[in-house]
Amino acid sequence: MAQSLSLLVYLMGLRVRTRLEYRAGLFIAWLAQACGYAGVYAGIWVIVTRFEHLGGWDWPEIALMLGFHVLGYALGASFTFVQLRNMEELVRLGTFDALLVRPVNPWLYLCFSGINIEYGGHILLGLLLISWSLPQLAVDWTLLSVLQLLASLVSAALLTGAIITIIGASAFVLGRSRYLFGIYFDFWELARYPLNIFAAPLQIVMLTIIPLGFMAYVPVAGLLGRPVPFLGDFAPVAALLAGPTAALIAAWFWRFCLRRYQGAGG
Amino acid sequence: MFLAFALSAFRVRSAYRAQVWAMLFGGSLDVLARISIWTAVFGGAATVDGVTLPQMVTYAVIGAAFLSAWDTTELVREVGADIRSGDVIGQLLKPYAYPLALFAKQIGSRVFDSLVVGLPVLVVMALIFGLQAPASFGHGVLFVFYCLVSIGMIMGIGLLFGLLSFWVLDAHSLEWFMRGMVSVLAGGFVPLWFFPAGFAEVAAALPFSWITFHPMATYLGQEDLPTSAMLLVAGAAWLTGLFGLIAWLWSRTTLRLTVQGG
Repeated sequence: MAQSLSLLVYLMGLRVRTRLEYRAGLFIAWLAQACGYAGVYAGIWVIVTRFEHLGGWDWPEIALMLGFHVLGYALGASFTFVQLRNMEELVRLGTFDALLVRPVNPWLYLCFSGINIEYGGHILLGLLLISWSLPQLAVDWTLLSVLQLLASLVSAALLTGAIITIIGASAFVLGRSRYLFGIYFDFWELARYPLNIFAAPLQIVMLTIIPLGFMAYVPVAGLLGRPVPFLGDFAPVAALLAGPTAALIAAWFWRFCLRRYQGAGG
Repeated sequence: MFLAFALSAFRVRSAYRAQVWAMLFGGSLDVLARISIWTAVFGGAATVDGVTLPQMVTYAVIGAAFLSAWDTTELVREVGADIRSGDVIGQLLKPYAYPLALFAKQIGSRVFDSLVVGLPVLVVMALIFGLQAPASFGHGVLFVFYCLVSIGMIMGIGLLFGLLSFWVLDAHSLEWFMRGMVSVLAGGFVPLWFFPAGFAEVAAALPFSWITFHPMATYLGQEDLPTSAMLLVAGAAWLTGLFGLIAWLWSRTTLRLTVQGG
């Protein structure tokens, strides 16, 4: 166990050192990605300030939700997205077969050896939005609420990693999985807005089959004491449980698909 | 040759059926999200800044299913991949202009997306939520010409950012800068008439606003016919300038190109 952990830390170190060789490029990538997101957020800011609310939420509340959304995503995706997005290529070219004969768990190897530090711009933007909005909101800060905020963030990161893992693992049985990321990002974009503005069937989907409502809306509504459709007072606890539950399901699904993997390369 | 490239890209696109279903689903979801947002913020208000909710629903449906759906990030990525791998040198040896080939391939892919994804989404959403007709026959005719300017503008902006990759060697970052600028300045998501006054005036004069904002403002009759016609001429002038800039940039690029792959 200790040996595996030290190997993973070593692999991460190698990846980070490689990426830091081109520091100016990395910094420009951070800036560019933050600009890309800021463009979308500017549109949301215009709507919320012009109409004074969106689904009953004002700008500081929406800003907190956006910060939570991008930060939770960046923390989860830095360990999974770029690595597992190419899973269908790894399967098609037979590259994944080579990972199976290595003395290390293939998921751990892929995710940790490919850790992506290009999410720095996302993380800075998320921290900026959260640190700007929190002082403007009437949150009753206690040790419990601080822990709730941090644990919900970890849960959102786990949820991101879990869903990306499930999509990546689909390539073992379907052969192709990349188009599923398109569907994931369609729902992921909806998770930037208060869930109550959408029709009830879409709200149910976002809380069950594709549980991206737990990325930002449910935890932030729980923290602010706002009513959450279908969950009510259970919302803060549900936000904490969503990530670990999704991670367990993803771990099971990865093994399930791996058992059925027959290889496609040759 | 242009047509052959466009047809080839069209056929390649049609080969991935699962992707088409995913795009149909995603396109519908995008339109639904925009309609939900405008319905939520309008509440019971009849008009906001002289715009009604049915007008905003029309803006969202046509804007999301057709005008804003012309995404050229793929073009920037393709240029970046060609530069990174060194394949661009093979392109330069062939008897055609590389930017023109990129343009043709994008046209093929995007026409496929518009016909197979945009059109069905537009029809279904129009049947469910209702779609306003153009403000007048004249506005409708102008809108058709605006659509051509819109397609030219988004393609030209994509090509410009793609060619800039030859100078900065980082297409990935350029793609994100382009995304950010287009998402705010094109008025694809939020029309410029809701923006703060000074910013809206500057944004309306920039070429990005001919991608979605000016075409939809004309369709909905937010400007009278003479003003719409003048703005169309201004858009065509921007387009001419943009392609002139691309031609100049390409001539400079071929002189300074250093291929590192091989």
